[in-house]
Amino acid sequence: MKIGILMPRQRTSRRSPLMPEVLKLLREFGATVDVIYPDDHVTDVGSLRVEHDLYVLRSDTELALSVAGALHAIGAPILNPWPVASMMKDRIAAARRLAAAGIPVPETHVTCVPQRLAHLLEEGPLVLKPARGARGRGMRVVFEPDELEEAGTGGPILAQRYHRPDGADRKIYCIGGQLFGVLRRYPALSYHEKCGESFSIAPELREIALGCGAAFGVDLFGIDVVVSEGKPWVVDVRSFPGFRGVPDAALRLADYIYATAQRVLAGHAVAELPGLNTIGERKAVTA
Amino acid sequence: MKAVLVGPGRIGCGFVGQLLRDSGYEVVFVGRGAVVENLARVGRYIVRLTDGRFTDEVQVRPVRAVSTSQEDAVAAEIASADLVAVSVGAQNLVAVAPLLAAGLLRRTSPVNVIAFENCNDPAGCLKEAIFRIAPSLRDAGHGFSGAIVSRIVARRIGDPAGSEPLVFLGDPPEGFIVHGPSLRAPLPKIPGLRSVNDYGAWLMKKLYTFSAGHAAAAYLGALKGYHYVHTAVRDPEIRTAVRDAMEEGRRGLARRYGPELAGDRRELEAILKRFENAALDDPVLRVGRDPLRKLGREDRLVGAARLAAEAGVQPRRLALVAAAAMCFGCAADSGIATCGPEATLRTVSGLDPQQGLGREVASAFTRLTEGREEDNVLLSLRELVWSWARKHDPDAQPALRIA
Repeated sequence: MKIGILMPRQRTSRRSPLMPEVLKLLREFGATVDVIYPDDHVTDVGSLRVEHDLYVLRSDTELALSVAGALHAIGAPILNPWPVASMMKDRIAAARRLAAAGIPVPETHVTCVPQRLAHLLEEGPLVLKPARGARGRGMRVVFEPDELEEAGTGGPILAQRYHRPDGADRKIYCIGGQLFGVLRRYPALSYHEKCGESFSIAPELREIALGCGAAFGVDLFGIDVVVSEGKPWVVDVRSFPGFRGVPDAALRLADYIYATAQRVLAGHAVAELPGLNTIGERKAVTA
Repeated sequence: MKAVLVGPGRIGCGFVGQLLRDSGYEVVFVGRGAVVENLARVGRYIVRLTDGRFTDEVQVRPVRAVSTSQEDAVAAEIASADLVAVSVGAQNLVAVAPLLAAGLLRRTSPVNVIAFENCNDPAGCLKEAIFRIAPSLRDAGHGFSGAIVSRIVARRIGDPAGSEPLVFLGDPPEGFIVHGPSLRAPLPKIPGLRSVNDYGAWLMKKLYTFSAGHAAAAYLGALKGYHYVHTAVRDPEIRTAVRDAMEEGRRGLARRYGPELAGDRRELEAILKRFENAALDDPVLRVGRDPLRKLGREDRLVGAARLAAEAGVQPRRLALVAAAAMCFGCAADSGIATCGPEATLRTVSGLDPQQGLGREVASAFTRLTEGREEDNVLLSLRELVWSWARKHDPDAQPALRIA
């Protein structure tokens, strides 16, 4: 079994212990694991070949996504499939996909010129995020029109209605269809707070999380949920999050990746994509 | 020398056939379906043995194979065999008795029949079924023994309909134990054969340590959402629980049969190491199947727990594993869901759900079923915290906070 893992740029600091542990476990399981750092090397696109039974797209950098796209174009099985990872990376497309699936997503607007959002502030504050991004990078809450002056990044901006959280952020992670809830304070002030604490997911949030997976046809992802005045809103979705706070996350991921590779070796697809070319409006998954 | 081997399954091919061929026997498989057709057509197969680090392949050839539908040919093979081996699964022993009886009736000399089945007294079961069909065989002097197999043979690889040899994937141990006094002398010269007088005790040892541990890893692994035994035993909680369950069984064995037979903790660690062998690709769904049989009163979980309790050891882990087996059975639609947990405990395990061990298992089952759903995952064995809750509980506290 040969597994290629597309990883973010090698860094000496801020390295999560998750992936080294996953790699170690997969090698213990007998898999040949090659780590690929697209951002650290020159990739000869013309000579790119499918050399692994399964590729795991851990990195969400633009270059890693493009290399994954090139691999996808020549038939490589990728976890998560490149069309899904690409759509999740694009917050505009992802928000629409989720809304179309009936997932509660805050009112969403996009623009390249933040000042054009001024009239929306009459209804209340907005959260501005880069249209392509991950985690909280570049995110800010805007209350007044003059704050929009500083919000320009030169690129597309996604503006979502701000719903003040009732408490800590809720992260829901899905590994192989199994859901894991983690409560995390933002901003986290200590390592302990960064890890958060496990919670048992309530039925309504479970339906929402499963609905998110179904919307993209994958069972490996993470969502950020804000509960405001008792109502949950999905504010972000990631194809391969850090799974921080999930009990035995590395072991569960290794188990899932290994089982997926076995499935691929048996001739099955990594995931069944539910018509990503056609977005049909669906009934809301919440009551 | 010729050996007839009824049952070309995982143990039949992946263990018995290889050892017999290595001992110089001409091996004739008897079975039905595509596998026996493949063996007849290809005339060989491969046993791939791996300890997780090193892999060795053994070519088993030449072999012959005869279909069970060719009754006359099967009887003729048995009539001229120097050894008859059976590995058909405990539940099929009675079904193959007519085939064996027909062959044995044709013989002019007695022969040894060894049943390689992981259950209590397979030889007695097979012998009685044969004698019911052919009472004259009672006095024919044939030897009948069970065999306790040490090897795990996890799976068969390859397409039986194809022309390539099938591959059987297992781990290296090649020991097996027979009941010497039940067999005719001289005993067959096969590597790994060990003859003992107290076969029942050795069978209990295998069931109440190795098999109990294997089942524990599978059932607890299923609760925590793992696909494979090798992953489940790497989960620190499960590893501890598996070790504790085997230790409860071992202490029961030590009390009844003495420390020498029961072995020590190092043996249990060696067993855990074998469960870690990912090369076997042993899915928890395969290891856990047939939970009703595994919950039998003398079987690996309840039998081991009873023995532990007799020794004054509280079998808490074994009770939890038995409850996990019942959960697995409910999900696998094995009949436990239909007849109910209490009836299962009474009729299958011979336990009273209101007292003693039965109450312990019933109580653990109740606690587990509070959150058990097909896609729900147990986050903590100790606190029985599930990944999602059936009902919203606004007062729940961390780490069982519900949000």
